[in-house]
Amino acid sequence: MIENTNNLCEEKNFSDFYVKHLQSASNFAFYKCGDSAKSLDLVQDAFSKIWENCAKINFDKAKTYLFTSINNMFLNTIKHNKVVMDYAKAAPYLDTDNQSPEYLLEEEEFKTKLQNAIALLTDGQREVFLLNRIEGKKYREIATLLDISQKAVEKRMSIALKTLKQHIQNI
Amino acid sequence: MKKEKNILQWFNNELSNEELDDLKKSEDFKTLEKIKHYSSQLEAPKVDAQQALQQFKQRQLTKTKPKVITLNFKSFLKIAALLIVMLGGSYFVFFNNTESFSTQIAQNKTVTLPDNSEVILNAKSKLSYNKKTWDKQRNLKLDGEAFFKVEKGQKFTVNTTAGLVQVLGTQFNVKERDNYFEVLCYEGLVSVTHNNKTVKLPKGNGFKVTNGSIELTTNHTTTKPDWMQAESSFTNIALQEVIAELERQYNVTIKATAVDTTQLFSGTFTHNNLNTALQSITIPLKISFKIEGQTVTFYNYGG
Repeated sequence: MIENTNNLCEEKNFSDFYVKHLQSASNFAFYKCGDSAKSLDLVQDAFSKIWENCAKINFDKAKTYLFTSINNMFLNTIKHNKVVMDYAKAAPYLDTDNQSPEYLLEEEEFKTKLQNAIALLTDGQREVFLLNRIEGKKYREIATLLDISQKAVEKRMSIALKTLKQHIQNI
Repeated sequence: MKKEKNILQWFNNELSNEELDDLKKSEDFKTLEKIKHYSSQLEAPKVDAQQALQQFKQRQLTKTKPKVITLNFKSFLKIAALLIVMLGGSYFVFFNNTESFSTQIAQNKTVTLPDNSEVILNAKSKLSYNKKTWDKQRNLKLDGEAFFKVEKGQKFTVNTTAGLVQVLGTQFNVKERDNYFEVLCYEGLVSVTHNNKTVKLPKGNGFKVTNGSIELTTNHTTTKPDWMQAESSFTNIALQEVIAELERQYNVTIKATAVDTTQLFSGTFTHNNLNTALQSITIPLKISFKIEGQTVTFYNYGG
């Protein structure tokens, strides 16, 4: 009976799974291709694949399967755009007390630089960096998600930080 | 290196406060802190999960339909036909061991069988046997006339529509025509089965069935059938049979509607000269003939 409740071929189970993971999956796709329509397409294709193979996929592995599918489909199909991330509208400044116009201007300038620098990262570095920063994922979680070693994740993160730092300080 | 590791730990929220204080002293700290802070303010485009699910379900419906693969009987039939052709072909290649020989009008042929027995086929005759079972059973099928020179060995059987001829090692002639069946033994002993009756023929004896009546002949002195000396001999045979034999030996059509073809003929005709052959048939019977191309017409004197 337990197997039945975890069966992805049940439409209700699948819908729950879909709603639960849609946002993170589409974020992940967006970090890769930088186009919201295309990333949603990717995600839908990946979910279709899971639906078609529902009998073969273990419920516990379905999430990994989803992200791996997105990754593979991205590599196979999408010619990606420059990934320009937007800031959340209510984003607070680092120093919330300092409201002087100079400070605000400086911070806005920094934010633009950061946006541009992120766009210059490689796909691998960017996805690791953004999964860590936006989703707040630990390196270990990212490693499982991408099906790579934690060392590799840390290496990408380290290079990403170095690259970002250099770009921001040079411009 | 230590510093890099600490930065990574800091970004992973795994850095202790003392280590963080240590890190704060480095020159890049301000930039890194800003990167850390502002990058977490970034966001990916929001997706309406319910709406996307609706879309997903619709496309699921439209997408799964063409996935249904109907059983394609045509391709099945193609494969089945191919298999049948291949199996049939291989059957004929591997299992059809029937060896056949046949002679045309005015043609003789000597056939050597696998056991070195010899068969000499007279004109317009057909002989066949099974190569595969030959070693166990010397079975032959004959339609027409042939002379057999059988090597000693297992039972040697000649099947004809009129009867069965069995021997052990001998020389004999089998003649099978419509309403006529004749076996002549030239050496050894031959057993003939006709209508469930078996007759044993020693050397020099013959067995003849004309229109259903059996006749045993004796005292043949020849050592070979006459057709092997390019002659056909007859003793009290109806003219129609003689004509049929003539047509077999010469490629001619004989029209004999004007004469009585049931009258009996005794005599011989050669296989080498049509004119002589026709004369040797017609003169004793007091009839005339006319040759027009491939057609010979028989008619009575003054007819």
